[in-house]
Amino acid sequence: MATSVTAAPNKPPIPRRDGGASGRRHQRTPAGLRWILPAFVVCVGLIYFCIGYSGYISVLPWNWRPPRQETVEGFDSYLRAFHSPLFWTSLEHTLVFFLAAFVVQCVMGIIFAALLHSRVYGGTIFKVLIFVPVVIAPAIMAPVHRRVFAVDGPINWILQQLGLIHVTDLGNRVWTEWVSWLLIHLGMGNVTPNWIQPSTSLWVIIAVQIWSSIGMAFILFYAAMGQIDPDLLEAARIDGAGNIRVLVSMVVPNMKPTILALAILNAITALKLFDFPYLITAGGPAHSSEFLGTYIYAELFGVSRHYGYAAALSILLLVLALGVSIVMSVTARERRPVPDIKGRRG
Amino acid sequence: MFETRSRRARLGLTLLTAVLVIPFVIPLFTMVHGSLQGSGWANYLAVIRLNGFWLYFRNSIIISVGTIALVYILTMTASFGFSKLRIRSKEVYFWLMMGALTMPEVVLLAPLVILASQSGTAGTYWAVIIPLVALQIPFTVLLTRSYVDGIPDALFEAARIDGAGTWRQFWNVLLPLAKPMAVAIIVLVLINSWNSYLLPLVLLGQSEGHMVVTQLPNSFKTQYTDDQTKILAGAVLAALPEIIAYIALQRHFERGMAAGAIK
Repeated sequence: MATSVTAAPNKPPIPRRDGGASGRRHQRTPAGLRWILPAFVVCVGLIYFCIGYSGYISVLPWNWRPPRQETVEGFDSYLRAFHSPLFWTSLEHTLVFFLAAFVVQCVMGIIFAALLHSRVYGGTIFKVLIFVPVVIAPAIMAPVHRRVFAVDGPINWILQQLGLIHVTDLGNRVWTEWVSWLLIHLGMGNVTPNWIQPSTSLWVIIAVQIWSSIGMAFILFYAAMGQIDPDLLEAARIDGAGNIRVLVSMVVPNMKPTILALAILNAITALKLFDFPYLITAGGPAHSSEFLGTYIYAELFGVSRHYGYAAALSILLLVLALGVSIVMSVTARERRPVPDIKGRRG
Repeated sequence: MFETRSRRARLGLTLLTAVLVIPFVIPLFTMVHGSLQGSGWANYLAVIRLNGFWLYFRNSIIISVGTIALVYILTMTASFGFSKLRIRSKEVYFWLMMGALTMPEVVLLAPLVILASQSGTAGTYWAVIIPLVALQIPFTVLLTRSYVDGIPDALFEAARIDGAGTWRQFWNVLLPLAKPMAVAIIVLVLINSWNSYLLPLVLLGQSEGHMVVTQLPNSFKTQYTDDQTKILAGAVLAALPEIIAYIALQRHFERGMAAGAIK
């Protein structure tokens, strides 16, 4: 569903909605089942087989393991999931993650896109720096981020330079007085400058994910802004609108299709999330950064190896993903007629 | 977007951008700076001398090339079929395929492990490539089909009148015209297969010679008892091919990834 946001590869040379094969022509169009069959078998065959198999495993006893023969036990595993606080915690983390990542991505994406459309010096360098995190594998960057948020890592070093934390005689890092006073009065007295801890580990994961995905939001907004007619903005300026006013009332409303696309993209990312939490915090400490992906993985390959239970969790995750999928195809239909300001002016 | 009438305004905006970009640079700086701590460049030597260092790259290259080739062939044939050929109830097939569009790979984990171990493919490249291909195809087919829909039917009819069979139409009309899509598909699939971590970890194995690039930095956690400098040197070496590829093909990467983001 190419919106006008995407650049060249998505723009067909001559737009035609109708895929052909209609009416009289129908008779002459060659049959094509065998052309789609290979892709269909690999994709639909494997994935639907796996889903069916997961469904089967999920009604076996929750602690079933592969070689063991077992009889069907029913929805025991699902009930266990609904009664498990960990399942709801993971879901809650997924939701918090989605909201935080989405909002920050939109705000920062729009700001960066607007800035780099404003004739700043060295634009390409900034663009590369913002987009490089999107390209590098999360698994490769995970150990680096672990270092960044380490007790003696760069984040704490910067806070130290800013005078927010100081090192005690024993070598511990603690907040300076006024910061801890502030934190206690904000109800965050348990936050210490040690980031991989229960009260902050989720936010470390969110920050890292935002770091690696703002570039994507930026590129999408940048492309979308490139499509806004400069004359339109000029007219607004002549009417006396300032920079901020133009951005908020003229540019942002035109970004709606992109914002919607980012919402969907982030929902999928939140449900799929695995590499960062697994490699940075392993879902911990004390499950404080547990997501559905790490939860399922732990049930599958942890000490306990509960295949039945993991399969039930997988099916629940699948239902959520399908929900997103349906929202996506519905909104895709709405998104299609993207107003192309430049073209419509005539 | 923002008005910059004077040189000073322009400098101010540049400064603002630079300040906002600092958080992006911190991890990159940490990575390079940390990898040169302790024994300096010798950290890199230690990583390169690691047993089977090149195998990480070889495995990743084989998996990526295999995935790209398969996805490309299957996507092109399927898009041709969906868009230009007669298939009864083709939309049913299409939506069945699109049902797999947002599949989180962790959902497939349990069945894939059992499937791979029972079919004896566990530890082979196929065990990783086939699921990767299956997860990419809905996406690339969706993109490519809407692109092929935009190619006028008249071109295919003209070829048919000139006596070209379906195969010739595919080879001589569709493939050359869909070339812009090929770049997007290659970039998209390259990133997704090169960056994949979970599937190779579980299906290719964690033993020496069976690991991919994304496992390189983390493999030092056990081997050198959490030697931070070598972990970071490993991360730099693992990330380098991607960074170079991105800078060399900047526009293609940005377009390909953006095409993937907006489906």
